[in-house]
Amino acid sequence: MKKFLALILALVMSLSLVACGSEETTDEGATDGDTAASELNVGVFYYNYSDAYITTVRNAMDGLLEEAGITYNNYDGAGNQATQLDQINTAISNGANLLVVNIVETSSPDAAQQACDAAKNAGIPIIFFNREVENSVVDSYENCAFVGTDAAEAGHMQGEMIGNYLLENYDAVDLNGDGTISYVLFKGQEGNKEAEYRTQYSVEDADAILTEAGKPALSFYDANNTSKYLVDTTGNWSSQAATDYMNTILAAYSEASGNMVELVIANNDGMAEGAIAALQAAGYNTGEEGSTTIPVYGVDAMDSAVQKIENGQMTGTVKQDAEGMANTIMTLVNNINTGAALMDNTTDFVVDSDCAKIRVPYAMVTSEEAAA
Amino acid sequence: MDQPALLEMRNICKSFPGVKALDNVSLTVRPGTVHALMGENGAGKSTLMKCLFGIYSKDSGTITLEGKEVNFKSSKEAMENGVAMVHQELNQALTRTVTDNLWLGRYPKVGGIMVSEGTMRKRTKEIFDQLEVHVDPKAIMSTMPVSQRQMVEIAKAVSYDAKVIVFDEPTSSLTETEVEHLFRIINMLRDKGCGIIYISHKMEEILRISDEVTIMRDGQYVATKPAKDLTMEEIIRLMVGRELTNRFPPKENVPGETILEVEHLSGKYTRLQEASFQLRAGEILGIAGLDGSGRTEVLENLFGSMTKASGTIRLHGKEIKNRNPRESIKNGFALLTEERRATGIFGIRDILDNTVISNLKSYLMGGICLSDKKMRQDTDWAIQAMRIKTPSQKTQIRSLSGGNQQKVIIGRWLLTKPEVLLLDEPTRGIDVGAKYEIYELIINLAKEGKGVIMVSSEMPELLGVCDRILVMSGGQLAGEVDAKTTSQEEILTLAAKYV
Amino acid sequence: MSKESKTMEREAQVKARAKEPWTARRVGDLILNNALIIIMVIAVIYIAIVNKNFMKPASIINILAQTCAYLPVALGVGGCIVLTGTDLSAGRIVGLTACISASLLQSVDAASKMWVNLTPPNVILVLILAMVIGGAIGAFNGFFVAKFKLHPFIVTLASQLIVYTFLLLYVKAGNNNGMAISGLDKSYSGFITGSLLKIGGTPIPNYVWIAVICTIVMWFIWNKTTFGKNMFALGANEEAARVSGVNVFATTLMVFALAGAMYAVTGFIEGARVASNTANTGLNYESDAIAACVIGGVSFVGGIGKIRGIVIGVLMLRLIFVGLNMIGINQDLFYIIKGGIILFACALDMRKYLVKK
Repeated sequence: MKKFLALILALVMSLSLVACGSEETTDEGATDGDTAASELNVGVFYYNYSDAYITTVRNAMDGLLEEAGITYNNYDGAGNQATQLDQINTAISNGANLLVVNIVETSSPDAAQQACDAAKNAGIPIIFFNREVENSVVDSYENCAFVGTDAAEAGHMQGEMIGNYLLENYDAVDLNGDGTISYVLFKGQEGNKEAEYRTQYSVEDADAILTEAGKPALSFYDANNTSKYLVDTTGNWSSQAATDYMNTILAAYSEASGNMVELVIANNDGMAEGAIAALQAAGYNTGEEGSTTIPVYGVDAMDSAVQKIENGQMTGTVKQDAEGMANTIMTLVNNINTGAALMDNTTDFVVDSDCAKIRVPYAMVTSEEAAA
Repeated sequence: MDQPALLEMRNICKSFPGVKALDNVSLTVRPGTVHALMGENGAGKSTLMKCLFGIYSKDSGTITLEGKEVNFKSSKEAMENGVAMVHQELNQALTRTVTDNLWLGRYPKVGGIMVSEGTMRKRTKEIFDQLEVHVDPKAIMSTMPVSQRQMVEIAKAVSYDAKVIVFDEPTSSLTETEVEHLFRIINMLRDKGCGIIYISHKMEEILRISDEVTIMRDGQYVATKPAKDLTMEEIIRLMVGRELTNRFPPKENVPGETILEVEHLSGKYTRLQEASFQLRAGEILGIAGLDGSGRTEVLENLFGSMTKASGTIRLHGKEIKNRNPRESIKNGFALLTEERRATGIFGIRDILDNTVISNLKSYLMGGICLSDKKMRQDTDWAIQAMRIKTPSQKTQIRSLSGGNQQKVIIGRWLLTKPEVLLLDEPTRGIDVGAKYEIYELIINLAKEGKGVIMVSSEMPELLGVCDRILVMSGGQLAGEVDAKTTSQEEILTLAAKYV
Repeated sequence: MSKESKTMEREAQVKARAKEPWTARRVGDLILNNALIIIMVIAVIYIAIVNKNFMKPASIINILAQTCAYLPVALGVGGCIVLTGTDLSAGRIVGLTACISASLLQSVDAASKMWVNLTPPNVILVLILAMVIGGAIGAFNGFFVAKFKLHPFIVTLASQLIVYTFLLLYVKAGNNNGMAISGLDKSYSGFITGSLLKIGGTPIPNYVWIAVICTIVMWFIWNKTTFGKNMFALGANEEAARVSGVNVFATTLMVFALAGAMYAVTGFIEGARVASNTANTGLNYESDAIAACVIGGVSFVGGIGKIRGIVIGVLMLRLIFVGLNMIGINQDLFYIIKGGIILFACALDMRKYLVKK
């Protein structure tokens, strides 16, 4: 009991300490405001260090920030919105005066809105990037912007690549010669806008090209699956999930039984590579002379994926420009650093007409581009 | 007696912070003799042995084996040099087989990697034959009785060709016949020229088996004498430093009316069959029998910590069920278990927690909150009434000596105000002085009118404390004797009845 | 009697030692026994010198608030550890109860309302419902542990998976389709993230008080009730507890049920604090909670642990989290520091319980 009392006492004392300390902070806060203009302190929040694409963005960002001599702190949200929220609050209390946020939770605007409100209350600008936030969030605060891609564009490009490739190589791809291409699609995450769009448009656009040329639409390899995709249930867009799924598929579907999966579409390169690993174990996509290659498509154009395309193990990907993304963000960071408005100097970029959202363009990567 | 010493430990000193555990202790063991090492718990016997085996490093002094000075770093090194120990608490890999335990750490190899099962089995059989031990080398250790596990430990020492073998309380969990077997083996080893160090509390054994006796007290060497020149009283005098005229307190309890009637008690998962007996108020009822004869099972089935197959129990003529310990406690029963450390104490908790655990309901205020004050008062009462030696109520119970731990558990049960106390080996692993106090406690409880049932493997203890003694044999009740008129022979004959 | 005199001697030694001068050895022991606290204090002082922002009220309240959000999980799992067990299902129970709480308390005009026609019920009612659900899952764990003598590691490993299915199905239920559950009613977000009290201009979020109440209640249960004493006895020696008349089955069941209810409290808090709840919410919360417990001296040896220790453990982890961010340590190194501290803390802790040889 005595010790418990001591604990309570300690708690009260620490609280009173806080209360005492508060008086000095009011005037100190003012000086902080002055220094803020001259000395930029950027908090950069990544949704997950384990994401390969985000890591390339991070490396590019680190290089640019160091070059510019700007103080910055990186934070690993580890795929957990609660962690990221704790980090944002910590950074603000640590005197960060610019937040660059790769939000974890994208399926509803509330998390992003909370981050935005926190920045607004602290009176500091906030830049969201990569993982898209709603217009309403960006519009809610004048010092808020988004740098990302047009989420739908990657899906459209994937669909276009697939459609064109199939038209050229239809019979080679149609392994069992039944006239339709059976495919599998790996979705990175439920409730993520990028994942939703890529899942939807890659198939829709490919189908549109095929049917226009008089070919039947793509058919999902498993007729019983009504959702027409397999999703990483952990929401991590992980290659491991794709490998596991692909291995399971290959155990039941094969050329010998005439029901082999003839096309693999993945929401990102990680999952595409995971699928390729499983295919290679089964003797496909080795890139060697005479081996059958199942066309596999990803998004991101990570170096390893581009190399696989060069080697003929993968068929195509969509370049999500990590450096372009980092450069665009840096433009905004420099605006703040020089005291300009957040969205100055953005005339060269693709900016949404109705909202402070900058779109870094995608590009298709197939064997020709990869070789070049 | 003039042969050169086999093992000589001279002027060994060892200090721990605040305590001088060994103060100039010397011990000389000659080949072909059994050398008993005696002393109360805490006298320094174990510390001395630990210095021999390199578990502790001695502060000063010399150890010579066959004229050469040795300083073992570990018991493995000692073993390899022919000094082995059969431990009181057997440290064995219980889930492995007999053979595995015997060769653990030095499996015979084939080609440097593979374990040679064949060689291992052959050598095991040779050793077992030599010792006349009948143990299945493939049996899993945990399925075997303690006596057989001990034989495996002895076989291990023999397999190392040990010249000096230390036996630490080897008979504490053996029955009479098993003790006889052990003594045959010890004599065999002695005749082979081994030097045996024999540590025990049991005077009768010491006088029977040993050639020389060294006595220690409080970390100091007291005397070494030939066993034939010593009497029990003399040993006790040397050990405790004063006369202990009577090993048992006066019996002042008077049995009254029958309070408990047990009929046809049988265990569901044990060998106990059809035990029927009565217990009177103020009576101490002993239960004798060999190990595995069902002594403990009588208590545990009665208390409900083992499942009954059948049987009726009547307390004051009213039938009760005692399906589980909770119900039995409500009915006024208490069980002091045999394995104090495994099923008695909460080692990591303090004295207070250990004392009040069975009686928590009576400390409730308003039905929810426990009263610290009442709990402290009751613990104080227990400490005083049981004469528990402890620095405070907040002391971890495992830092107390065995006797004091036992007193705490007795105190725990007395707080529940039981009518029937079931005591299973109440003095196991407790030294002479503390034993006397426990006997006193038991007799006083009976004097207050409580019924006591007491299981013990020490015959003199049963004869000295009990009023009547039930003898178990092969899971059945073999007979009942009056403690005043019976003899050890009569009890042993009954104990062998259904074996 | 020699035994008696010896014990008295020993007692005298203990007393003498209390009066003993401060020898190097004694100081050394004292430092080792309180090493964690000392390191924590040094770390706090160091961080405060390096970064002036650390001791500002906003920062202290930030640490306090974060501690309080994670505290109930640790308080729950602590009981399981006292029973020499563990609970791996904590995170998923947090997730499920967070999603249920949030879905029931979406505002009437939320964009993608899960249960379209539901008017948000009373907040306290939902908290109680969440605790009942969490408690029921905990009781399920406890039942398997107590009845079949399975190790809690196995039982909760299994139930963690089972609960995840419920969670996945639940976020797809109604109108939601696997999207994050958000658009919370003002009554809920106000109850959790609103503030009754401001210190130095920084509001203290209300969930701090919920955590404080939980801590007091758990302290009472652990120290002042029959159940608490039985729990410690059971953790220290199950067989002895059974023979001493402890209802082993009921006590085990209750410990796990109580733990489940505590996870639900964190779930309820997180539901509004993070405000965007998915199947991923609560993932891996158990690992931090278990780490906090062992740092705070709730030993896997069983039968040992204090509420005070758990509070310090959680606080310690949050201090590491905030402190490392504040002194700008490379985030890649964050995990090695955390892992190192857990190892160090447990090694120190075991030092106290090991029988010296």
